[in-house]
Amino acid sequence: MTSATVAKRRLSMPGGWWGAVLLVATEATLFASLFATYYFLRFNTAQWPPPGVPEPKVTLPLILTGVLLASAVPVLLGSRAARAGNVRLAWLLFLVALLVQGAYLGVQIHEFLGDLDRFSPHDSAYASIYFTLLGVHHAHVAVGMLIELWLLWKLLGGLTRYRLVAVRVAALYWSFVSLVGIGVVLTQVYPAL
Amino acid sequence: MASVAHPEATRRVRRLERIWLERPGLLGWLTTTDHKRIGMLYLFASLVFFGAGGAEALLMRTQLLTPNGTTLSPGAFNEVMTMHGVTMIFLFVIPISTGAFGNYLVPLMIGARDMAFPRLNALSFWIFAASGLFMYVGLATGNGPNAGWFDYVPLASRTYDPGSAIDFYALGLIFNSISTTAAAINFIVTIFKLRAPGMSLNRMPLFCFAFLAVSFALVFALPALSIDCVFLELDRRLGFSFFDPAHGGSVLLWQHLFWIFGHPEVYIIILPAFGIATSIIPTFTRRRMVAFPMVALAEILVAFIGFGVWAHHMFAVGLSTITTVYFAAASMIVVIPSAIQLFAWLTTLVTGRPIFKTPLLWIVGFIVFFIIGGLSGIMFAAIPFDQQLTDTYFVVAHFHFIIFGAAVFPLLGGLYYWFPKVTGRMYSERVGQASFWLTFLGSALTFFPMHIVGLLGMPRRVYTYSPGLGWDGYNMVETIGAYIVACGLVLLVANLVVSYFRGAPAPDDPFGGATLEWSIPSPPPAYNFAVIPTVTSPYPMWDPSDREEDARKLERGEMVLDTGHETPATSVLDANLDEVLDMPSDSPWPILVALMMSGVFAMLLTGHLIAMSVFLGLLALVVGAWHGEEPEEVT
Repeated sequence: MTSATVAKRRLSMPGGWWGAVLLVATEATLFASLFATYYFLRFNTAQWPPPGVPEPKVTLPLILTGVLLASAVPVLLGSRAARAGNVRLAWLLFLVALLVQGAYLGVQIHEFLGDLDRFSPHDSAYASIYFTLLGVHHAHVAVGMLIELWLLWKLLGGLTRYRLVAVRVAALYWSFVSLVGIGVVLTQVYPAL
Repeated sequence: MASVAHPEATRRVRRLERIWLERPGLLGWLTTTDHKRIGMLYLFASLVFFGAGGAEALLMRTQLLTPNGTTLSPGAFNEVMTMHGVTMIFLFVIPISTGAFGNYLVPLMIGARDMAFPRLNALSFWIFAASGLFMYVGLATGNGPNAGWFDYVPLASRTYDPGSAIDFYALGLIFNSISTTAAAINFIVTIFKLRAPGMSLNRMPLFCFAFLAVSFALVFALPALSIDCVFLELDRRLGFSFFDPAHGGSVLLWQHLFWIFGHPEVYIIILPAFGIATSIIPTFTRRRMVAFPMVALAEILVAFIGFGVWAHHMFAVGLSTITTVYFAAASMIVVIPSAIQLFAWLTTLVTGRPIFKTPLLWIVGFIVFFIIGGLSGIMFAAIPFDQQLTDTYFVVAHFHFIIFGAAVFPLLGGLYYWFPKVTGRMYSERVGQASFWLTFLGSALTFFPMHIVGLLGMPRRVYTYSPGLGWDGYNMVETIGAYIVACGLVLLVANLVVSYFRGAPAPDDPFGGATLEWSIPSPPPAYNFAVIPTVTSPYPMWDPSDREEDARKLERGEMVLDTGHETPATSVLDANLDEVLDMPSDSPWPILVALMMSGVFAMLLTGHLIAMSVFLGLLALVVGAWHGEEPEEVT
């Protein structure tokens, strides 16, 4: 029996998938704490961002988030292809996603370093939460790329039930990271709106 | 399955023993993935920390025995006081309740052969042990955390607390949270997916409902603490300004995030105790729990409401009236699910035929202390009362009745209750009752007078006090009480240690318990169940025909799963058989991952970023090796 048929015959989701749902739940709470901190600090201060700190860019971050959201599509399609038993297609789709996300992260890190040159987290609570929020999100993207790399390597050896669960977990994780990206970018650009 | 006489059955059991055998000796303990052995590791480690936390308590009480005591210097008192709180909460109560009791018992109660993620389970233990050592290295090197267990800024900021004491605290707690989060996720998935066929959610023991509620609370509560500690470290080490009002930061941010974690934490501490109470009471009253569904819902409701009440720890910091009133009202709501459970226990006791053996005595003590601590808790929901008594010994009295009296007593009762199952020996009933009475009376003597000195105005966390304030006599009584508690606990440990070597052999089911752990031999074999049981009620041991059917299945070879390291997975709500899983067996990777992570945290503390990167690289390698092993495909 192929792993794809076993996956279809299951009455409920496998344990690995539930584990990933709970990981996402605890990660979502982490981001919620960051958002809460951002707005808590914001409403403690009259001027936001404080004097001397430039307003955030708007267009580029929004475009980048669009790219990140779009990159979740090949991941989800890849997960669907793997469930249908089409490993080659899944592999290609994950590769496409990985390349797009790599480019995304490259630009984001460039922007992050540029921002660090213009203002420093030492000077204000605004900058502290700004860099922390973005840094945490970038770290999540980087971890997601490592997971994809690992999947690409594993899928070279064909599909097993274990790897199929891993594929679905990766898709779930990417859905989360790209969706939470919307919250991150809206918070990031909010002072300039 | 007490008698395995049938030759086919004997052969199958032998095969299971061979399949589930782990490495012998010390190496076996270091690489084990058996939930029972990991449970024992958790038990021993958390009891060692309990000893340390208890010693710290005795040091403080000795210092406070008389006015102007000189046992501890003010600085040492702060360290001992902080480590007492941190130890008891993060290194004793949570690890012993979820780690030891949960690990050992949840799979046995739901009829599984292991936890859902056995290697992650081992990893949780090793990280917990490492994080505890991490913080105690701080204390041993004279850098013990010293700003109280809730570590308020600005006291904990670099300006007022230079050195690395607070860094040991913040990094240690982040490290510890990783372990607890992993364990919580593991419990939820185990309870969702590995229940024996037929154990639909409404037939699951209340013990497991309590652990399910605790695990969900942990998953949603811990991130707030971790991120708070991350902010603190960024402020202290890299000069960020989260908590610095001069740069637009806020000191209240620390308090909010801390208590968003900290109040659910209170229910995280006490819910396992509720779970143990709902196991012991039916056994010793010979009747089913009254209002089973209400109790199950109340357990979950307590965990849920716990997230909406955090600011009642902050009534004295100057929040707006509307905020404090909301949180006061929300805090009173907690009374409802707590009272549902309390009345369910009492009604079960009154309408049953209680036999007051040692485990039930601890539960009765728990109920008494829970009522006292609960009543003083309701008083704090009255804002003026809280503002008057906050940061006095009245608070210390309240939460020690709850944390020691209500949360720890059932754990100690549970140690007696499951001792025969775990060791195959009976404890001494007479010594057991003596240890209960000593601890019970000692606790009342220690904590009750704290209400009075609190009302008389004695602030908490002071290292000494002047004579002539009317506090002297009460403090002396408290210290004497603390030593009586210590005697009771030493007696308990002595009872268990001596019984382990000399106790009478225990039968499989010495108390007539209701749940599945009593259906297997004492001590349990590595594979737990020779036949995966089928369950038709929440009290499977009181359904003798089901258990006889299990024995016949062993003879027929149904649901024995003796072709590999296997356990069945079932559907989440109805527990219909879904698939057979090949479970991992002993593995060196978890302890190696924990070692590399310890390296990362140690280097973060000392600021050697290059060495930290090396450890990170090694960590990635070990995680990769871990995931190189894949399970067998079971068809």
